[in-house]
Amino acid sequence: MKPLAGLRIADFTVHAAGPFCTHMLTQLGAECIKIESALRPDIFRKPHAVYGRMGPASFDQVASNKLSIRLNLKDRRGVELAKRLVAVCDVACESFRPGVMDRLGLGWKDLSAIKPDLVMTSVSSSGQTGPDAHFAGYAPLFGAWGALGWLTGYVDGPPVEMRHVMDHSVGMNAAMATLAAVLHLRRTGEGGHVDVGAREVAASLNGEAMLLAAAGGEPRRLGNEHPRMAPHGVYHSRDKDRWLTIAVHSDAAWQAFAAVLARPDLAADPRFRTEADRHAHRDVLDVEIERWAATRDADAAAAELQAAGVAAHVSATIHDVVHDRHLRERGMVIDVDDLEGNRRAALSVPVRFSRSQTGLDRGTPRLGEDEDHVFGELLGLGRAERDALVDARVIY
Amino acid sequence: MARSTVGLPLAGLNVVELSTGVGAAYAGRLLATLGAETLLVEPPLGSPLRREPPFLPGGGDVGALFAYLAAGKGSVVCDLASTAGRADFEALLETADVFVCDLSLDERDRLGLTDDGLRARHPRLVSVSVLPFGATGSKSHWDGEEINLIHAAGEGYLLPNGLSAELFPDRPPLKIHGHFAEMQGGIVAALGALAALLADGGGAAGRRVEGQGVDVSIQDAMLAVGAFAVQRYGDGSLEHRVTRSFKYGGVLECADGHVELLTLEDRQWHGLVDLMERPAWALDPSLSDPLERSRRGAEINAEIRAWARSHTTADLVARAQRLGVPMAKYASPAEVVAGEHERARGLFQTVEIPGFGPCPTLVAPFHVSQAPLRLRSGPPRLGENQDRIAASIGATQKQAVEAR
Repeated sequence: MKPLAGLRIADFTVHAAGPFCTHMLTQLGAECIKIESALRPDIFRKPHAVYGRMGPASFDQVASNKLSIRLNLKDRRGVELAKRLVAVCDVACESFRPGVMDRLGLGWKDLSAIKPDLVMTSVSSSGQTGPDAHFAGYAPLFGAWGALGWLTGYVDGPPVEMRHVMDHSVGMNAAMATLAAVLHLRRTGEGGHVDVGAREVAASLNGEAMLLAAAGGEPRRLGNEHPRMAPHGVYHSRDKDRWLTIAVHSDAAWQAFAAVLARPDLAADPRFRTEADRHAHRDVLDVEIERWAATRDADAAAAELQAAGVAAHVSATIHDVVHDRHLRERGMVIDVDDLEGNRRAALSVPVRFSRSQTGLDRGTPRLGEDEDHVFGELLGLGRAERDALVDARVIY
Repeated sequence: MARSTVGLPLAGLNVVELSTGVGAAYAGRLLATLGAETLLVEPPLGSPLRREPPFLPGGGDVGALFAYLAAGKGSVVCDLASTAGRADFEALLETADVFVCDLSLDERDRLGLTDDGLRARHPRLVSVSVLPFGATGSKSHWDGEEINLIHAAGEGYLLPNGLSAELFPDRPPLKIHGHFAEMQGGIVAALGALAALLADGGGAAGRRVEGQGVDVSIQDAMLAVGAFAVQRYGDGSLEHRVTRSFKYGGVLECADGHVELLTLEDRQWHGLVDLMERPAWALDPSLSDPLERSRRGAEINAEIRAWARSHTTADLVARAQRLGVPMAKYASPAEVVAGEHERARGLFQTVEIPGFGPCPTLVAPFHVSQAPLRLRSGPPRLGENQDRIAASIGATQKQAVEAR
């Protein structure tokens, strides 16, 4: 059995961060009902030209495992049905711009009045309150607002854009905070509203730099450098665009590293004796490592360094990741069938339990695929009533 | 651990954390922020995270990373090399709900802290393992620091994009600042701990739940948030840092810093044209087609970059906001700490940092309606809460007497 079996979620989320939150929860066993409408198809149901996808997605990582129903929230009757649905759920999640759910009559005040023991999670760009609450944004903007973009970059270069990992980290935080609220609900009977602001997630991921700045220090862009470790970096192997990452975290690892390089002279060199010495002379060291790495196969070098006790790994492409034996052994990378019946790689939820089960049970739902279960069984709507609502474009 | 946690979602939850790295420490921190009582168990010389730079100004040895990760936690010293230390530690586990641990598998064997051993001695305990590559699989014994893990999960190879990739096409790929991957491991570890506590209807009054082991791999956690690249691979596209760049927009240099500009929707592009005060090049009718804009991205970028350089960030961002153009200043950490929005939302709380003094510290990236999330304290002094061991022994003895 999955750990969240029995937990039901009304999922109003759109875009990337919100759907990723409920995607995590559904793989942990929650029943997640995705509320959609043909009026405003989800991003995976239409072309996404910015990323080069010219038609609907045949598989969507964050929609898989969810149940799909249609509801037109621009119609008052659609909103009433949404409220009836929330009343039979434990959790409601949404990721509209702050104020949109309120205007629909589906805000925290409305929904908690219907169901006082509801947990509601709102994911937004800047949070539900504060002077910038109305700001809309995307992952690179979250990173910019939260200083993570400013801090990321080559030492002598400009800031760097955060990409989807930023959105999905927001979703992961939201999933975690939602479960804290659910645990509180189980213990006390009290529901609550969880407010996750993406720019605050970006800031939280560099909280140590914030603290340093608040204390009067000057955080700076470090590129691939580490404030303590050296050698530390990404080195070109003998093959084109094939890179090896190395982090020497202790004196013992340093000695082991020099042995793998067959360079007793480096191990004995007074410039590299202590960690502080190595860090002070990291540029000299990097030249030596670059020379060595340029003759080596990256995968073999990583395995040899690991065997000697040095933290190393190849800079993996997504092709490497999808075919990685370790990730497959852990069930993190799995194969699924898409809507067209093609086999493809997908990711599972990144948690393993000794007793509970996890993972995907089905792929992307077709629009409205689960209306018999949701409208029929959960809400008790009769066939004629449903047909009338379809004709009236309420279920649409 | 001064402030009250009454009303917070995890009030009353006891977490014991045995951490040497950021992932496990961040898990304990997130749970503490949500109201749990997180007790950091340290060796006699203190957690290695205490010695991690950067250090706060003033010439002392107070690390910013430890101060951030340990804020709100308690600290006890247990010398796990000694019999007495191990007995103390077992007493703490006896009264804990959650145990978060990032010791290597070899060390766990040596100390009797394997998953099976823990389950036998503490059947109610949710025991969360956080390792670079997880506790099972052919790389479970591999070591990994942040830079190795962000690359092991595929995102490292895909960075940087845009301006940095254009300026420095031959440089090695670039990691995200700090401990992004390790922190994903921490967030997932907290998620896993809570899911395990909720398993089988857990948490409900009178419901006694069997504990279990939770295995978190930082590589898995980082890969999970990089899911989009795996989906693209299934669609037939192998992403690369250069081709992943946005066709136009992105990082723009202004007169006094950088802004991010991203116009994904048509109306946002038209807003941008207005923001630039409708220059002749942008009014070319063929540019109203998004695909044509994509094709002529380099040309558009040259124009936008030249335009941005003569403006200040504040001026551009204010006008962009009015025109519905997604744009943000690349804020420095100091700017975020001083931000009006952040102040209004109470993102930072001033806590006492031993060896330094009071300092604003980021509380949490989420808010709950039950009660404002507050840090109970700054980071603990080493062994500041040593009395917790006696309290745990007392509580366990009391339970044993009552059970008789």
